[in-house]
Amino acid sequence: MPEPIYLDHAATTPVRDEVRAAMEPFLGPRFGNPSSAHRWGRDARTALDEARERVARCLNARPDEVCFTSGGTEGDNLAVFGPWRARRAGGRRAIVTSPIEHKAVLAAVHHAAERDGAEERVVPVDGDGLVDREAYRAALAGAAVASVMWVNNEVGVVQPIAELGAEARAQDVVFHTDAVQAFGKIAIDVTTLPADLLTISGHKIGAPKGIGAIYIRRGTPLEPLFYGGAQDRGRRPGTENVAFAVGLALAAELAVAEREEECARLGAMRDAFEARLLAEVPDAVIHGRGAPRAPHVCNVSVPGVDAESLLMALDLQGIAASGGSACQTGNAAPSHVLLAMGVAPELAAGAVRLSFGCLSTPEQVDRVASLLPAMVARARAAASAVPVW
Amino acid sequence: MSGRERVLVAMSGGVDSSVAAALLVGQGYDVVGATMKLFCYGEEVPDRPCCSLDSIDDARRVCQRLGVPHYVLNLEDRFGVDVVDDFVAEYARGRTPIPCVRCNTFTKFRDLLRKADAIDARWIATGHYARAEGGRLLRGRDRGKDQSYFLWGVDRAVVARMLLPVGDSTKAETRAAARALGLDVVAEKVESQDICFVPDGDHTKIIRQRLGDDAPALARGPIVLADGRVVGEHDGHARFTVGQRRGLPGGFAEPMYVVAIRPRERAVVIGPREQLLGRGLVARGVNWLVDPPAAGATLEVQVRHRARAVAAELVRADGDEVELALQEPVAAITPGQSAVLYAGEQVLGGGFIEAATGQRLALPVLAA
Repeated sequence: MPEPIYLDHAATTPVRDEVRAAMEPFLGPRFGNPSSAHRWGRDARTALDEARERVARCLNARPDEVCFTSGGTEGDNLAVFGPWRARRAGGRRAIVTSPIEHKAVLAAVHHAAERDGAEERVVPVDGDGLVDREAYRAALAGAAVASVMWVNNEVGVVQPIAELGAEARAQDVVFHTDAVQAFGKIAIDVTTLPADLLTISGHKIGAPKGIGAIYIRRGTPLEPLFYGGAQDRGRRPGTENVAFAVGLALAAELAVAEREEECARLGAMRDAFEARLLAEVPDAVIHGRGAPRAPHVCNVSVPGVDAESLLMALDLQGIAASGGSACQTGNAAPSHVLLAMGVAPELAAGAVRLSFGCLSTPEQVDRVASLLPAMVARARAAASAVPVW
Repeated sequence: MSGRERVLVAMSGGVDSSVAAALLVGQGYDVVGATMKLFCYGEEVPDRPCCSLDSIDDARRVCQRLGVPHYVLNLEDRFGVDVVDDFVAEYARGRTPIPCVRCNTFTKFRDLLRKADAIDARWIATGHYARAEGGRLLRGRDRGKDQSYFLWGVDRAVVARMLLPVGDSTKAETRAAARALGLDVVAEKVESQDICFVPDGDHTKIIRQRLGDDAPALARGPIVLADGRVVGEHDGHARFTVGQRRGLPGGFAEPMYVVAIRPRERAVVIGPREQLLGRGLVARGVNWLVDPPAAGATLEVQVRHRARAVAAELVRADGDEVELALQEPVAAITPGQSAVLYAGEQVLGGGFIEAATGQRLALPVLAA
């Protein structure tokens, strides 16, 4: 088999060599607990503080506004439950969100509604996945927190986060954006961005799985998820993962430094791929194409082709893609994102996501584009075969 | 791509299909493993030997060990319609369904076959104890494990694409092969005896789930003798099958069996053993795996899994219906079960039993 091709960077990315090298000492000689008073502790603490400062610089935030987490899901949960729990006593019991959020937000909001009496306000999106602004404004009234993702992980659609954030804050609603897919693709400056909370994840940008960070604007009302020691001002008790925090800091710096060039490179590949795909499979539907999209995601359905068959055929040719998001083994339910965008269930059930990134090259994209039409034709023929009985 | 022939192997995470995959790898096939997700238990059933997500994980581990790809294929929608809905409807009609036959016919060897087509796999394989040779379907070598009874509904053209690699082995050999191949995950797994979507053996739960608490099949009705005399009461005819003794009133001179179920009156008919014997049967939904024999042909018929096949004459065969005259009386010929036709080792075809004939009590043949 020819060299395998990884087109699932939205699911995860490999740890960069320089990131691994930067982490290495903290898995060995510099193993100290950052809360310890001795030299090992001081050494680890210094590295942790520096990592925090470096991540903060990537967002133009203050270091005390950066809290390390275990990743995107923890950040999203903290951003939903934290402000809601802090504000419910004051009468703000509603949580505003969109139906195309990551499950880490949707399930947290739903849990707060089902179990803790929050009011769940899910604002519809249009056919390209953009939040309905009028419904959004109306939903904000009296809400505790609003959470809208910046770049959608399945279709790549970019929300006008500055505007959505400004509207939320104008109504005294804490505003969170899940920027897991946006970081490294869109310039982020929290001094001008009207967001109170912003979640990022390490493994989407070349740091390991299990590390992330959340930006918490000073003064944001927030109850912690965990209780324990005084680490991170009590916002996130538990001995800090120093090695991974150092890794995240470097990965974030590299992503910011390479952002413009990498986005241009990925966008050119993605656009070339889509142009070829549409030329050869004219009835292919590229989701979210009418909205601004991040440059690394292509989400496509072909009528009459089921995603399972196409993903198998791709994988057997060494090409890794995914249906919707990576998480749900054996779940054939069509993507909640596509359904919310009004895509017909049959078409949504056939959606395949190809996401480009550090491992992608134009030659690979060329090869996928040349193999795909035959796979589509075969899957389509198999699915439409008339049963003989 | 290499010139090896590709085979899609349906893997349940159990020992038989795992060994099937391993044997095919050894025979040089380009093996692709797939586990079908067919239904969701929800949170009710924490532990099941088959078909749960754990089983998917086991199948994946086996494939990883064999160095072949593994996929999870969700066929829940189709399985729900083709197998589960039919299962419930059959009980509602007073019959005793065999969902495994419909799963093989529709799910494994039709829906899964389409996935095989999509990846250009010439072959499709399972861990059934049966043999497919030169387009003929044969009993498994291990007669105690033979599963050919469940495979009669597969389309004749599909048999030519089937590989059943454990059909030549005994169960003990299969387990030994699993150990020898290092498939420790599955080698000692407990065999699943239940119907996969009825994990605790209580099929009334799913009937209630689908048809509601007030489903007539689960409502009280009379237990009657063949002459109509009421001798007791039951709490749902779906709890009974022909030949059953459990749950019947006592006080008779000889052992009593369920001899028929009459759903319209919600009646369970009981009688002594001689009333259980049939001398012929009518089957519908017939599928032939050979050129259909002419009326008057002699063949063998098996009316239950694990029952002995008996000689029979094909009285008539029109369209998808056959009538057979048995050369010896057979007990518990049960509507909804399969009548599978054999010539020695070879499966000729089969159909769903519509009615027994030549019973001492006359039963109306239901309209299809």
